[in-house]
Amino acid sequence: MKKFVIQVVVIALLAYMLELFLPWWSVAIAAVFGGLFLRSDANFWAGFCGIGALWFSAAVIIDLTSSGNLAEKVAAIMHINETLLIIVTTLIGALVGGMASYTGSLVTRKKAPTSG
Amino acid sequence: MKFFLSLFGTLALILFLDRSWTVGYTRIPPLGKFLDPLNGFWQNAEPRNHIGPEDLRVNGLKQRVIVQYDSLLIPHIFAADEEDLYIAQGFVTAQHRLWQMEFQVMAAAGRLSSILGPGPENAFIEYDRRQRRLGLPFAAQNAADMMVKDPVQKRMLERYTDGINRYINSLRYKDLPLEYKLMDYEPEPWTVLKCGLLLKSMAQTLNMGDKDIEMTNALKLFGKEMVDLLYPDPDCDIDPIVNNPGGWNFDAVNLADVPPALPEGLVGIDPMPKYDPDVGSNNWAVSGSRTATGAPILCNDPHLDTSLPSIWYAVHLNGPGVNVMGVSIPGAPGVIIGFNDSIAWGVTNAQRDLVDWYKITYQNERREHYLLDGEWRPTEKKIEEIVVRGGATVYDTVIYTHWGPVPYDRNFRGDEGLNDYAFRWIAHDPSKEATTFYKLNRAKNYSDFMEALDHYASPAQNFVFASVSGDIAIRIQGKFPARRKDEGKFVLDGSKSSNGWTAFIPFEQNILEKNPSRGFVSSANQYPVDSTYPYFITATEFEAYRNRRINNVLRRLNSVTVTDMMRLQNDNYNLHAAETLPFLLNQLAIDTAALRDEGPEGIALIKAYHKLATWDYFNDKDSEGASYFQAWWDDFYPRLWDEMLSHPVSLARPSEYNTVKLLKENRISMFYDVQSTETRESLRDLVRTSFATSVARIEKWKEDRELKRVRWADYKDTYVRHLARIEALGYHVQHGGVGNAVNASDRLKGPSWRMIVSLEKTGIKAYGVYPGGQSGNPGSYHYSDMLEAWANGRYYRLAFPKRPEEMQLYLFYETDLNPREKEN
Repeated sequence: MKKFVIQVVVIALLAYMLELFLPWWSVAIAAVFGGLFLRSDANFWAGFCGIGALWFSAAVIIDLTSSGNLAEKVAAIMHINETLLIIVTTLIGALVGGMASYTGSLVTRKKAPTSG
Repeated sequence: MKFFLSLFGTLALILFLDRSWTVGYTRIPPLGKFLDPLNGFWQNAEPRNHIGPEDLRVNGLKQRVIVQYDSLLIPHIFAADEEDLYIAQGFVTAQHRLWQMEFQVMAAAGRLSSILGPGPENAFIEYDRRQRRLGLPFAAQNAADMMVKDPVQKRMLERYTDGINRYINSLRYKDLPLEYKLMDYEPEPWTVLKCGLLLKSMAQTLNMGDKDIEMTNALKLFGKEMVDLLYPDPDCDIDPIVNNPGGWNFDAVNLADVPPALPEGLVGIDPMPKYDPDVGSNNWAVSGSRTATGAPILCNDPHLDTSLPSIWYAVHLNGPGVNVMGVSIPGAPGVIIGFNDSIAWGVTNAQRDLVDWYKITYQNERREHYLLDGEWRPTEKKIEEIVVRGGATVYDTVIYTHWGPVPYDRNFRGDEGLNDYAFRWIAHDPSKEATTFYKLNRAKNYSDFMEALDHYASPAQNFVFASVSGDIAIRIQGKFPARRKDEGKFVLDGSKSSNGWTAFIPFEQNILEKNPSRGFVSSANQYPVDSTYPYFITATEFEAYRNRRINNVLRRLNSVTVTDMMRLQNDNYNLHAAETLPFLLNQLAIDTAALRDEGPEGIALIKAYHKLATWDYFNDKDSEGASYFQAWWDDFYPRLWDEMLSHPVSLARPSEYNTVKLLKENRISMFYDVQSTETRESLRDLVRTSFATSVARIEKWKEDRELKRVRWADYKDTYVRHLARIEALGYHVQHGGVGNAVNASDRLKGPSWRMIVSLEKTGIKAYGVYPGGQSGNPGSYHYSDMLEAWANGRYYRLAFPKRPEEMQLYLFYETDLNPREKEN
């Protein structure tokens, strides 16, 4: 369990840092990394929770601190409501994170051949 | 194996979420990219007090530029170098309005389908073709070529362009305006040509009005006498802009005595959509002799689409030899309407016919030669390439003659090639308006103002002026063809060069008035001048109501204050209704006793009648009479002129003013009969039917909304619409006024900038408001922060300091733009 929590936190933090410089899909790099090097019993859920939590909290913080009702407007454009928009945002990040960390965990770690 | 499946799945998912998809005509943004809270649209959501960085490095600056934002987010730009000033203006404007600037340019240039795709039934492709065929890019290129010939203009435009590009280059996906993320595209570099496109797009809105095809058809169907009755010049001669009988002491340009022959056939063209005649404006200046402070007061409110991001961007420019404030057009340098330490100026549209259509005779099907003065002249073929997003590129061949492009032909709204008409438009001519604004921004007095206007050709405007030194003036400036009687009202024979614009009115003979004895000057798009002015003047339509109301109020007022002027700009008195409604009610001759027996419908009619009979003619928010009148007129007017609407060829309705005049004079009884019925209608039938229909419509309106009353603000439903017509990014506003009231606010159009400037010797006092906000970002508080004040007739006092230190009281935050330190 502890291993899983560490894995989630590391994925979230790493994704946050990568996103400062790279496009949105860099969350997948963070999740692959977490799946590869910090394996737990639930590698899919680690990426899922890590990226999901990151996107969820970022969206909620922005929504609470902003004043132009942008989320409401964008939700209206997409014919959904604000809550659902936050949920969709979270799920998209979570799904990509989950699949990426699962993929990372499937990499068979072999020692690289020394000769070249 | 499992690994590869998983890897493939992950990559496929990412790719799927990284691109946009079209479903029907709707583009779904790339969901992963767009919804990512750290880079996607969420990053466009700003806190109430969002402030920019303290310092920015901007390439190309020579010295530090101080940009101070006040609480409305109006930038006050202080630069020690003139080129730096325009770099900063470009940079700051782009920072708030980039998407809007570019989108407007794309629309003007006929490139919308490259962003939006073909559109429903290829609507965007057709729009683009129309822009190309009208020669908008051609006009902009002519203007840009002319502008860069002048070193001052060139410098101003190029530095402004640099500023915009510096901003564009600093952007990452995260920083892009919301609309780019929504529609999934990216900004292109800005160019001087794009400044030209914006100015020409303004000319298209303001100076492309014409009904030559409709008038030609009317001539054939009704005869010349009837045409003169229905569409007279002028149709309202009361209160022209300048009334100076016998004061035009100059030698007018002598034109050949023979006016162009009147055309004889019908024109089966389906004309392109018209600009809306309700686009208009008010301006006036009151002399110090009539104001409370003894200083002149200048007022201006241009009426345009009430759209978001707002049409105008307020800015204060302070540099060597210039300290000017007012509103700019995002995408064009300088201030367009505003004031400096010495003068103030404003504009309204000069309604003049600046468009003509010339019938072209080709030698043969190949359209390589056309007839002119008995010779076959070569045509020029321009192949327009219209890039369509998600579709094949469309190529459209447009033929150019010496008159201009030929928009209508066998490939476009024409009639089997029988109707090739070339388009002569004043805005196709090279011109250098940027010089005018450059000089106006720096003008110190009346003679500077006059000199600045000598460079101005299009779009023709009524320029109002006032100075701290006490002068007021109005000058109607533009490049106007000198016309013979009736010239320009109908389509013309394009095989004779003598039918062209052979001479223009010399600028010094343009209509002008300085310090008139009545103590004020004013304009509101009405007929410009008294009958002794020696040139023939015609237009699609002149205003006939706002001008009279403004002048009536100004004549009556004494010791005029700024508050009086605010009240006048927000005046909802509907003179059209005051002149029309008593006549209609009289014709209606309602029989209340009989109606009472007709049940709820009869009762509704009686109630409506009482609301109308007791209405004070003010289109205030709560007025019900205003709603009933509008609904009635909207039904009556087309019903009366059904002959025009139902005819297979295109025809124009006479103006509202002339309609009412002719009705009262009982001179149009031949039009009372409704074509679609078998009975023969009288005026009373028309009035009664339209009354009953309009009341029924309002009853339905109330029922649909579960409302007991039909308040004018609800019925009119002022809507400040997003430029790309995205419903959720617009606002419905409670606002009074109506097109022909001084507060000329219709559903989608209205006063787009209300400005009042008191030119006091102790310092200029200026007030302004517009329906929107400085930021173009729908996620900013400043996207719409002025909307409520605008709707309620309130104003903001504009901070106008001479030095940055004087800004303290108004300062929201400051950003310093610094030159990039030289490498090595």
